[in-house]
Amino acid sequence: MAKARSIVEALCKVGVTDLVGLPDNSSAALFALLKGGGEPVIRLVTREGEAFAMAAGLWMGGRVPAVLIQNTGLLESGDSFRGTVQRMRIPLLCLITFRGYAKLERVGQRSGEPDPHLLSRPDVDSAALLTEPTLQAWGLPFDYLHDEQDVPKVNASVEKARRLSTPVALLVTRDMT
Amino acid sequence: MLTKQELLQPLASLRTDEVVVTTMGVVRPWSRFSDSRLDFASADSAMGHVADLALGIALAQPHRRVICLNGDGSLLMTLGSLATVVEAEARNLILFTVENRTFEITGNQAIAGAGRVDFAGMARAAGFSRTYAFDDPACYARALPEILREPGPVFVAARVEPGSEGPLSRSRKGEPVAYLRPSLAESAHRLREALAK
Repeated sequence: MAKARSIVEALCKVGVTDLVGLPDNSSAALFALLKGGGEPVIRLVTREGEAFAMAAGLWMGGRVPAVLIQNTGLLESGDSFRGTVQRMRIPLLCLITFRGYAKLERVGQRSGEPDPHLLSRPDVDSAALLTEPTLQAWGLPFDYLHDEQDVPKVNASVEKARRLSTPVALLVTRDMT
Repeated sequence: MLTKQELLQPLASLRTDEVVVTTMGVVRPWSRFSDSRLDFASADSAMGHVADLALGIALAQPHRRVICLNGDGSLLMTLGSLATVVEAEARNLILFTVENRTFEITGNQAIAGAGRVDFAGMARAAGFSRTYAFDDPACYARALPEILREPGPVFVAARVEPGSEGPLSRSRKGEPVAYLRPSLAESAHRLREALAK
């Protein structure tokens, strides 16, 4: 598990000014930490697709945004992601909390095409099953943030996004503390 | 009902250093009245998300007004944006909804709820404290100077006659509209540069 405070410190260190998104159980600690103000500034949206468009506008206006949403919201955001930050070649860190990762680990199925049986099994979260294939299909590079020792990947991912002038995702696989 | 010219010409004549973000059926008409480096066409992008994009610019540039010329079909796609704008308290954002009641660039098919949806009423219900609805060009022209001065977020619904704008594209060759010649990426990066000066 990574500490929300460590992630916030890493975001500040790399110059992120705004965090656009929606809270979930995994990111609740981070949203609570930033509720009182300070940077990065929390920018709430009603649905995740809004987050990518708002982040694009923030970046055009000179800010350094990042997006923080759940993988379910990522699935909702396809056209917004494609038509804004990706098509605009905006260097953007996308922190995606990975609902269902632990269940997926238990099942052990991480490769191959998800089949209808697996997608409907009650002990498997289909959002988790579809996350990595979706990122691959969308051409969104990604890495994993499992625990505290992975926090430096925030900096590495932002650097990569800047180098490639494109969004880069960091999948947060466990609840922040 | 207004023509697009009656909507856009007064706005262009009063506009100073505001960012103007257009989408769908007003992208090309706006270019007949303006050729500013602070114009941005949300074309070849993601339909429904121009208000979110304009909000982002407004939040990043709190000392500059941002005018968003959204479509009614586009707004219906992301009605939650109204609440997002209110939550963000962007005092420099003016959100127009150009209400032609059709998907103009795909052939003027009627939008859901055409003529029945009260856009200004929805904005009010979402928490906008300043909302306007116009279907008379003279009333609109009289009110516009004050609309552009007052603190936002402001919502303006303007009933306009459907036009005959075709599909939007971006092309370096043969595109008559200047702000549609660069790619979307180039346009976005150029606006960031312009706003940094």
